[in-house]
This record gives sequence, structure tokens and C-alpha cells, in this order.
Amino acid sequence: MNKYSVYIQSLASIYPQDEAVEGRFSACEPDYKEWIKDAGLRRRMSRIVKMGVTAALQCLQNISEKPEAIITATGLGCLADSEKFLQSIGSHHEELLSPTPFIQSTFNTIGGQIALLLGNKAYNTTYVHRAFSFESALIDGLMQLQAGDAGSLLVGSVDELTPTAYHILARMGVWRKFPAGEGASFFLLGNQKMERTIARIVAVDMVSGDFSQDQLAEKRLNFLQKNNASDAAVVSDDMFKPICGEYQTASSFGLWYACTQLNGAGFVLIANSFLHNHTMVLIEKFKG
Amino acid sequence: MDQLKKELKEALIQALNLEDITAEEIVDEDPLFGDGLGLDSIDALEIILILERNYGIRLTKPEESKEIFYSINTLADFIGKNRKK
Repeated sequence: MNKYSVYIQSLASIYPQDEAVEGRFSACEPDYKEWIKDAGLRRRMSRIVKMGVTAALQCLQNISEKPEAIITATGLGCLADSEKFLQSIGSHHEELLSPTPFIQSTFNTIGGQIALLLGNKAYNTTYVHRAFSFESALIDGLMQLQAGDAGSLLVGSVDELTPTAYHILARMGVWRKFPAGEGASFFLLGNQKMERTIARIVAVDMVSGDFSQDQLAEKRLNFLQKNNASDAAVVSDDMFKPICGEYQTASSFGLWYACTQLNGAGFVLIANSFLHNHTMVLIEKFKG
Repeated sequence: MDQLKKELKEALIQALNLEDITAEEIVDEDPLFGDGLGLDSIDALEIILILERNYGIRLTKPEESKEIFYSINTLADFIGKNRKK
């Protein structure tokens, strides 16, 4: 039995706000100088790091509580720096490799940079499980908050699109249904309901397999029935991916979308599919 | 020598991703580390790469690097005397 319920207290997203160009969405990025004041820190950050750190800072804007954990998720991590580093290995015959892209190419760079900027020495973990990355991070946060191990924590995801990734994933048919996308979304979760609380996270589930539409609908119905939320409104990826595009952690944008763009209070199921990986996040919205 | 200094400043700006700084704004005699440009140990590694890749210079005496890396002037002087390409 869970000791506490889990609530979304604050949220922020950096996402595409223009039409896709040649099948690709680009995130609408803010002026990073306004959010990351230290030029010394900023100059070492690649685009994805700046995007993730800024979304986290936006989420924590005007928030007094200090997160007791920073849990990040990414499907493919810091791709641009990983590509730069790998290309450098080839072009310089495995010698004289520049340290900066190597340092920045690790998956947990974003979580680490958020902690550095906040001066936060609490639990810090990054989940990299392809299309289940965000939900894995969310479940970690839920478990800590439900057990009372933490009272407030930050959960978010970030993925960037590079030309190389676009072309490789196009061959795998990843962009067949939606244009390629990218973005960063962060959520401050807590286990106390407050005036500003946006929603309660009821349950999270993930299934993997080559299911038919009917089988998938049945799985979603069972999930809703199990959580006494058969009347939930459904936010499917058909609703939010035409905005953010397809990427491994697009479901976090789906959660942001359900919380901010959907009218009315009540149960909402965010249903996402990425290839054969399907996720379900059930929330109860308090504000319309 | 002036051309070398200009080339060096441009290489530093690109390799170290120095935002909002032009080659003209980097003063030849100002310290590169600490108070001047504010570079740090990771930047020092990037400068070592510039020396090896662009000028074929491999630093063999690490104890001299503090003096060599002090400013654009000291760095250009060292490159001028030791460059292999």
C-alpha cells in the first residue's frame, strides 16, 4: 500500500512550435543566456544540454522547495556530441581526441548539469531505455514519493534530433507515422497536494510487442479498469505528436500536453506508441 | 607573427566555443587562464590538441606549460620557435 499519492506541482517544456520542415521538427529554443547566466558553463554545453537544463530551470521557476532527487530520461542522449566524438576518432586515427565532446556525450550530462546549476547533491539518475526511458524515470520518482523517501523531486526527459540520426532512423521506418521531433519536458513531482497542484499521477504502465490496434485498445481498457478510471479522456499520440514529432521520449511532451492543453478536469490517459513499445500514463487533472 | 596570433585566436575561439568574443577582443598580453579569458584545465587540453594538430608540436616538458600557455604572446612565441608544420 502506498503511503502517499504523487502530484504534478509544476511543469515546463521546450518543444517545436513551427511546422515540420522536410519531415523534421526543431524545438523552439529560448534565449539560453537568460537561463544559464554563467558563460563559462554555457560554452561547454551542447544544444541538448542547454535545452534540458533550461526546461528544468523553467519548471523550477518561482518554486521554493528543493528537489530531493533529479531523475532524467533520454532515448538517445547527447547525440550531436557523440557523433562529433565518434567522427573525431575516425578522422584523427584514434589519437588527439578533444575532451569536451567526450565529456558531453555521456547520457547523464544533463542531470549532472542541472544538479551543478542548482547546487543539488541529492539522488541523481538518468534512465536510457529507448521508448521506455521517460516512464522508467517516472516510475523511479513515483516509488520514492509514494514511499515517502522524498517529498519533492524533478523528473524530465530530453532528446535531440541530428541529421545523422534522422537518416539512420528513417531507414528503420521510425518517421512513417509522424515527422521526426525533439524536445525537453520536466515535471516537479511532490507527495503533498497544494494550491498550485496540476494533477495526480495515478498509474504508469509499459508493454512491448507487435500488437494489433484491437489488442492495444484492450490493454488500455484493462489498465483503465484496473485503476477505476474507465471514463478517462484519452490523449493519444495522434494528438500530441503532430506538434512535437516522433522521438523516444515524446510521451513526456504528451504528459505536458495533457496537463496544459486539454480542457476540463478528471482522469486522462496519455497513450503513446514508439515502434512496438507502448506506454500508458494515467493522471487525474485538477484544473481545466 | 601577427598572422600567427590572429590564427591562434580564431582557433581558440572555435575549439573552446568562446561565445561573444572576437579575435580582436583577445588582448595579446592578457592571461589566458584565471583572470584573463578565464580558461581552465579542460581548455588547456584543447590547446594542447591545437598545438599538435595544427603545428605538429608535442609538449615534452609539462613543467614549462604554465609559462607557454600564459598569453597569446607567449603561446605564439613558442609556436614560432617550435612549429613543424
